[in-house]
Amino acid sequence: MIKKLAFTILGFWLIAVLAGRLFQLNPNQIDLNAILSLPDNAYLLGADDLGRSILARLLRGVEVSFLVAIVVTIVTMLLGVVIGLIAGFYGGKVDQALMQVTDIFLAFPGILLAIAFAAVLGPGLANLMIALCITGWVSYARLTRGQTLSLRNRQHVQAAESLGASVPRLIIKHILPLLASILVVEATYSLASVMIAEASLSFLGLGIQAPSASWGAMLRDGVRYMLVAPHYVLVVGLSLMSLILAITLGGDYLRDKLDVRTEKNDGQKHSKYSVIKQKVKGKACH
Amino acid sequence: MKVFNVFFAIGLAWLLLATSSCRRDGVSAQLSREIVFAIGQAPLNLDPRYATDAASERVNRLIYQSLVDFDSQSKPTPSLAGWRAISPTAFRFTLNKNRAPFHYPTKLRQAPLTANDVKATYDSIALLQDSPHAAEFDNVKNIIVTDDSTVVFQLKQPDSHFPAKLIIGILPAELIALHHDFSHAPVGSGPLKLLSWRNQLSLQRVSDGQTISLLEVKDPTVRVLKLLHGEVDLLQAELPPELVKYLQTKPEVTVKTNRGANFSYLGLNMQDPTLKNLKVRQAIAYAIDRDAIIQKVMVFNTRAASAILPPEHYTNQHSLPIYAYQPALAKQLLLEAGIKLPLKLVYKTSTDAQRVRFATIMQAQMQAAGIQLEIRSLDWGTFFADVKQGNFQLYGLTWVGIKTPEIYGKALGSQSVPPHGFNRGRYADAQLDQLLAEEDWPSATAHIHQQLPYIPLWYEGQFAAMRQEINNYSPKADGNWDDLATISRYAH
Repeated sequence: MIKKLAFTILGFWLIAVLAGRLFQLNPNQIDLNAILSLPDNAYLLGADDLGRSILARLLRGVEVSFLVAIVVTIVTMLLGVVIGLIAGFYGGKVDQALMQVTDIFLAFPGILLAIAFAAVLGPGLANLMIALCITGWVSYARLTRGQTLSLRNRQHVQAAESLGASVPRLIIKHILPLLASILVVEATYSLASVMIAEASLSFLGLGIQAPSASWGAMLRDGVRYMLVAPHYVLVVGLSLMSLILAITLGGDYLRDKLDVRTEKNDGQKHSKYSVIKQKVKGKACH
Repeated sequence: MKVFNVFFAIGLAWLLLATSSCRRDGVSAQLSREIVFAIGQAPLNLDPRYATDAASERVNRLIYQSLVDFDSQSKPTPSLAGWRAISPTAFRFTLNKNRAPFHYPTKLRQAPLTANDVKATYDSIALLQDSPHAAEFDNVKNIIVTDDSTVVFQLKQPDSHFPAKLIIGILPAELIALHHDFSHAPVGSGPLKLLSWRNQLSLQRVSDGQTISLLEVKDPTVRVLKLLHGEVDLLQAELPPELVKYLQTKPEVTVKTNRGANFSYLGLNMQDPTLKNLKVRQAIAYAIDRDAIIQKVMVFNTRAASAILPPEHYTNQHSLPIYAYQPALAKQLLLEAGIKLPLKLVYKTSTDAQRVRFATIMQAQMQAAGIQLEIRSLDWGTFFADVKQGNFQLYGLTWVGIKTPEIYGKALGSQSVPPHGFNRGRYADAQLDQLLAEEDWPSATAHIHQQLPYIPLWYEGQFAAMRQEINNYSPKADGNWDDLATISRYAH
C-alpha cells in the first residue's frame, strides 16, 4: 500500500514535469490582469502575485527541486563515501583527523550551516547547490566510515589483502559492494532532506533568484497573500508535502527491501545478508 | 473556633483573589485606552542628532520640536521659531512666545525651551564626529545667543537655504552637558513624551495623557490580522496593495489614503560604458510601463514621476512629461546607440518582496525592448553597501522625506560622490553643476529629466488603516506620523 502510494505520487510528479515540457508551459509569463486569480480555464491552479500560472511555476519548481536534490545527493554521496572509506580503511591518525573535521560539521545544525554558506556565497542556483554540498557529505562519511571499519576486518577482505590485492581493488571490489544498499537507502532520505533544504533556502531568499520558479520562493510569496489568495500557498504547500512524503515512503520501502537484517517468512527465504555472506565466502575460498 | 479559622482563611483568600482580579481588570481597563500603532520597523535611535532611519525620524518629530518645518509645498516655515536674514551669512531666529517645557520626568524644571538649548543642540552636532547630520552644519561659523528667545546663526559662506536645515529636534542644554543618552531616553518638548521602551515604544500625549504605543510587527499579514482582531488600532504603509484592498472590504476597518511624495527611481552607474550613452538611458526610461505597474501592483494615489521633487513642490513651475512605455522606440534607441541586442543589464534591489515584484515586472517589460535584465536581490546591508560603492549597473531605491531642492546637488552634483554626498551613480555634468550653483531649479529639473542620470518611476501613494473607533488620523504625503499628536478613539 505504502509502496503503491509512494510510487504513484512520484510517478505523477514525473509525468507532470514531462507534460509541462511537452505543452511548453511558460512559468515566467506575466499577466498583470490575472494577479492572484482563482483557478479557472486559463489558469488551472490560479495565478500568482504577478499573474503567472501557478501550475507552470509548480512544474518548473519541481524540476529545480529534482535537479538540486539529485546533483547534491550524488556529489555529497561521492564526497562522503570517499572520506568515509579513507578514514575507515586506513584508521589511526587519518581516521582521527577526518572524523574531527566531520564532527565539526556535525556540531552545527545542517540547515543553519547551509544558510551561512549560501549567505556568504550569495544567492543563485549554483551557489545554493555548493552550500548544500558543503554541508551534506557528513552523514555519508560517518556511515561509510563506520561500515568500513567493520568490513575492513572481514575475512574476505583480509584474504584478498593477503593475496596481494591493491587498496583500490580491496575498496572497490570487496568493501564498496557491501556498502551499496545502505548508501542507496541513505541517498533516498537525503533526496527528501535536500529538497526541504532547497525550499527553505529559497524561502529565505538565498536560493534561486527571480524570475526562476522555486517551491520555496513560491511558498514565501504565497504566505504574503494568504488572506487574499489562500489557494496559492495551499497548492504549493500540499505539493511539497506530497513529494517529500512520497520520497520518504519510497526510502522506507527501499530500506525494508535492502536492509540485511530484514527476514521474511521466518527463514523460508534467505536474507540478503546471508546470500551476500555466502557469496563472499565463496569468493574467499576460490 | 477551628471552623471559624477555616472560613476566615477561605474568605481572606477569596478577598485577595478578588482584589487581584480587580487590579488586573483595572490594568486592562487602563490598557484598553491606549492606542496601539503597528509598525514594520521599530525606531532605532531617538536622539535626533543621530537618527537616520524613517521610523526614528518620524517618532522624533513627535517627541522634539524643531526650529523649522515645511508646508504643503515643501517651503520651509517657522515651527518653533521665526527667522530673518540679517546678512547673507547670518540668520536671526526668534523663538515663539508660548513654548512648551521639556518633558523632564520630575517637575524640577518647568521652564520652556530657550535659545541656550538651541545653541547647545547645534553646537553638540558640530562636535559629534559620528553624527550623520554633522556635515550639514559645516558651514556654521558661530551660534550667538542674544537673549532667552533669540539666537543668531553666523555662516562661513552665504547659504540662502540654511533655515531649511534647522529641522533637528532641540534637546535640553543641561542634559547635553551631562551626556544624557537621548537615544534610549529622549527628553524633548514635542507633543508626545516617552513613557517606556521595552517590547514596544510607549509614548504619552502631553496635552491629555493619551498613551500611544508603537508595536513592531514585521510580517505584513500578521499586522493585518492584529488590526482585524483589534490587537492594534492603526497601521500605515508597508503592505502589499492586495492587503490594502482586502482591508477596505472589512467593516471594522477604515482605510484612508493620500498622494505620496517619496520618489522611487532607477539609479544608473554613469561610469558604466553602456549606460554612459544617453540613448541607452532613454531606452531604459521608455522600456518601463509605469502606468501598468501603478494600476495593478501599487497602492492608491501612486503617481508616475518625472522629477525627484513632486509636481506640487514650490520649485516645480513646469510639469515635465512622463516617459511613456514605448518598447519599439526603446529598441530603436538601443540600435541607434550601436548596442547589440539583447542588452544585458544587472539590476540590484533589496530582498523586500514588493521591490522584487517591481523588478520582475520591469524585467518582463524590458524584454520587449530588447533589454535582458538580470535581477539580483540582496540583503539590505550588502545591497546598500554596493550602491554606495558604485558596485552596480542599475539599482532601485526611494528618496524618502525629500523637501529641499538641494537634493539635486547632493544626489547628482559632481562633488557629491560618496562619502561627500549621495551621487552614487558618479554622475558628472558641468552644465548641471552650473545650474545648481545658480539655483535655477526649474532648468536643473528639466536638465535632469532630459539627461536621465536617474530613471524616474513614481511617487508611491500613502495609506493608513485603522479601527472604526479611531479618529483624527490621516496619512501624510511623506509618510510621517504627525497625526499621532491628535489621534483619538471614540468612546463607546
